[in-house]
Amino acid sequence: MAMSRATKAKRYALDQKLEVSLFPFLSIFLCVMGVLSFINVLSSFSAPQKIELTAQLEQGYKVAYQIFNLPDGIISLPPVKHLDQLKAAVDDADKETIADIKRRREWAINKLKRHSGSIMNAATEPDVDDIVEVLHDIRVINEIALKSNYLYEEFLLFGIYPNGGQAYQKIRDIMSFTQDARTISVGLEPLDSNWTLNLKKGESK
Amino acid sequence: MKDLISLDSLTDIVSNSVGILIIFAVINLIHDNNKTYQLEIPLEHATDLRPVFFIAKNDRILLMDTDKLFRNAALQATSGAAGGKRIFALDYFGLFGQIDKEKGVSFFAKDTSEWPEFHELDKRQSNLRKALNGIDPKKQFAYFFVYDNSDDGATAGSGFEAFRKAREYLKGHLVKTGWQPVNSDAPANICDESFSPRCVYLPSYLGGGVNK
Repeated sequence: MAMSRATKAKRYALDQKLEVSLFPFLSIFLCVMGVLSFINVLSSFSAPQKIELTAQLEQGYKVAYQIFNLPDGIISLPPVKHLDQLKAAVDDADKETIADIKRRREWAINKLKRHSGSIMNAATEPDVDDIVEVLHDIRVINEIALKSNYLYEEFLLFGIYPNGGQAYQKIRDIMSFTQDARTISVGLEPLDSNWTLNLKKGESK
Repeated sequence: MKDLISLDSLTDIVSNSVGILIIFAVINLIHDNNKTYQLEIPLEHATDLRPVFFIAKNDRILLMDTDKLFRNAALQATSGAAGGKRIFALDYFGLFGQIDKEKGVSFFAKDTSEWPEFHELDKRQSNLRKALNGIDPKKQFAYFFVYDNSDDGATAGSGFEAFRKAREYLKGHLVKTGWQPVNSDAPANICDESFSPRCVYLPSYLGGGVNK
């Protein structure tokens, strides 16, 4: 029986379709799957967890002035978030004091933000005069808040990185001979080297 | 006609698996980046509780029997071995001591091989557990001298993990804890506040998760 031209063409097309080999396609897919599985397993078991620390840390009315202690020195991170609200609640003489402290703190934060490269490399040797000024500012702010009956208290929070104890001990030595430090609460927390600081975190909250 | 095996369904399964894996990897990445840990904010606070001292180094924790340590230090001092800020053996788990007018007795942890590892806290009958269980939360708190050195390139200080584990354990037993970082240049020291204002040992963490 003679086949029609249309049936012949259809059979030819079907034969052509069946001859397409899917093996290269499959092998690429299997390779991708293997690599992805490997990366997934590797990241969940061996890679150290990267944790970012927030720039602003507070607990109720207590707000942390964070000092990160690294082998090369310290990174100071003063709180500025609530200073405008505090300024609005105090009398005119104290408004100026708070504005001055806020200006200096913002300058210090901006200096950190401008630092090129990893923020963790921005550590500097703890300077006695700077530490004394920090302690004085915290005491002044706490006293103003207390005088104005405004619920706000700053405290010093030390983050201790591996080999960062030296800088911490130096600051505590300064604190033990400074009158301003007597009334300031202190906290300290051990930090791992893969816990990095993120200046943008907590800013918008 | 050639009798070829159809690979359509297999291709379908494999491509679906790849797609799921990609989605899983992306979700994992996003989830990891957005994870927020609320660390307990530690605050040193005055207390009437007495400190029970520990040293944490090389993932090990040692209970400091202060009675024994000071007795041994006094013996060394009377025999003249402790004069001129000399470092002397305390005959206590590889600890060495030094007597200083300002710092009281300083402790150097040289050999930690006999100290219990912090993993022993998971064992019911371990000596470390017994030592921590011996703290009376109504009368005492735990104070840790934690070595912060990480010479082997580890992400944590040599005593950090041990301290965190012990702190967590003690929190569950309503025991307050305090700590300070130490190292060979700034060793652990125990002294009276009348010596120096630095001779103060305060708890930072509340026992029992009161300040979560």
